[in-house]
Amino acid sequence: MITIQNLSKKYGTKEVLTNINIKFDKGRVYGIVGENGAGKTTLFRCIADLEDYEGEISSNSNPIKNRLGLLLTEPFFFQKITGKEYIQLLCNARNIKITDIDDRNIFDLPLSQYASTYSTGMKKKLALTAILLQSNEYFILDEPFNGVDIQSNIIITEIIHKLKELNKTVIISSHIFSTLSDNCDEIHLLSNGSIVKSVQKTDFQALETEMKQMTIGNKIEELRIT
Amino acid sequence: MGDILKLKMKEYFELQYKMTNRRFKDTGFEPLLAYIILTVGFVGLSIYLFYKTEFAEYIFMLSALTLIGKLSETRRTEFLKICFNDTKLKKIRVTENFICSMPFLIFLLYKQLFLSAFLLFVLSIILALLNFRTTLNFTIWTPFSKRPFEFTTGFRNTFYMFFAAYTLTAIAVSVNNFNLGVFAMLLVFATTLSYYSKPENEYYVWTYNINAKEFLFSKIKTAMLYSAFLALPIAIVLVILYPQNIAILSLFFVVAWAFLICIIVSKYAAYPDEMNITQGILLALCILFPPLLVVLIPYLFKKSENRLSSLLK
Repeated sequence: MITIQNLSKKYGTKEVLTNINIKFDKGRVYGIVGENGAGKTTLFRCIADLEDYEGEISSNSNPIKNRLGLLLTEPFFFQKITGKEYIQLLCNARNIKITDIDDRNIFDLPLSQYASTYSTGMKKKLALTAILLQSNEYFILDEPFNGVDIQSNIIITEIIHKLKELNKTVIISSHIFSTLSDNCDEIHLLSNGSIVKSVQKTDFQALETEMKQMTIGNKIEELRIT
Repeated sequence: MGDILKLKMKEYFELQYKMTNRRFKDTGFEPLLAYIILTVGFVGLSIYLFYKTEFAEYIFMLSALTLIGKLSETRRTEFLKICFNDTKLKKIRVTENFICSMPFLIFLLYKQLFLSAFLLFVLSIILALLNFRTTLNFTIWTPFSKRPFEFTTGFRNTFYMFFAAYTLTAIAVSVNNFNLGVFAMLLVFATTLSYYSKPENEYYVWTYNINAKEFLFSKIKTAMLYSAFLALPIAIVLVILYPQNIAILSLFFVVAWAFLICIIVSKYAAYPDEMNITQGILLALCILFPPLLVVLIPYLFKKSENRLSSLLK
């Protein structure tokens, strides 16, 4: 379980997160939605301890980062490191002995090729594979479906279900609402650095309608397309 | 049209000048002072090098070509290709290489090493015009796959340096020149030092579940082990052929390891920023007076620990 209490984050004088209070339980999948710049990535970076912050973030296994698999929106890869070596590097970092990387390559990635030559979707799948093999307790997946083909989307959805089954805590952000409603137990709406709404599975439909209303309003009519 | 092209070239170099000055300012030096320090440092080191070793000419050329080679980095060249047409790109690259090789050329001319100066000049132009394709379709084999990343990526970028070092060793043996053999061994170490010159993305530090001290020890252990793997073949050959020189060879080996450790702790002492000029000066002082390493390594180790403690708990 991860508990966030009174979390605030400022960059200079600009407040990016304001008094966030959320609890992420074991065996549940959480969605974080919000427009660009709402503070999703900053929230993730605070949980991962990549940023200084005010407030408190605690978990059953402190520090959280040692049991956290973090999938970045745009994973960074060294030049001239193969997919297999990338996985090896991340497993070494967590002291995980792994000898059967090829057998566990469920996305059929060309692991002997340089990771930097992969497409956006392949890079995402490689980064996801690596954090899954790290045997983490918590997962933060920032835009996991972004740039990924339809077949892999199905696999990722199944992986998330499996993680839930294994009693892991999963936090996902996505700009595609359907991917969240299919996977999450609870969705938090982040706006201007604050959690403005938290919705359980039964109310996802209402949240989507409300978000559509808020976002679109009568903007399309204003276009006066003929 | 010609004016526009000229203006753009001028703007490009003005921008490079501004960026260089910004880097100096970021490291806490006034640009003018930094240029003076660099000039004095370069001249001082060059004089020392030529005073100290008979291979200074080759080391000097190699240093110049390594510096110039950095300007041919694939992504940098690709960016320039996007910004400029072919003719302008060639002009820019030739000018850049010429500017970078200028201090070396002047010193070689001062030393009346006209052939080397001419060779360096020609090579710097050839390097500017050659279009290296480093994104080849095949993966270069490396013996360091099990513990990425520094030696894994570094070896792939510089494998030819090891061929050169082993070839030099063979030459050293054939002409019965122990010093050349030592130079070849030091070339291996110097190459591995470059693997630690740039800070990696924070994700690759953050992801470790060990504390800062353990992290640094693990990096040092890997560096020592893998550098030994590359340098030992040369050392063994030299020990077999020149057993009377085992003490001096061991000393070189240990000092080279100390430099490797020093560069690792220097890198993390500035992390996530790049190493600053002060650290560069301290390292240069260590080249002049290696016993300084005994003080500098523990100091930088402590500093690295502090720097990394926010990412590694």
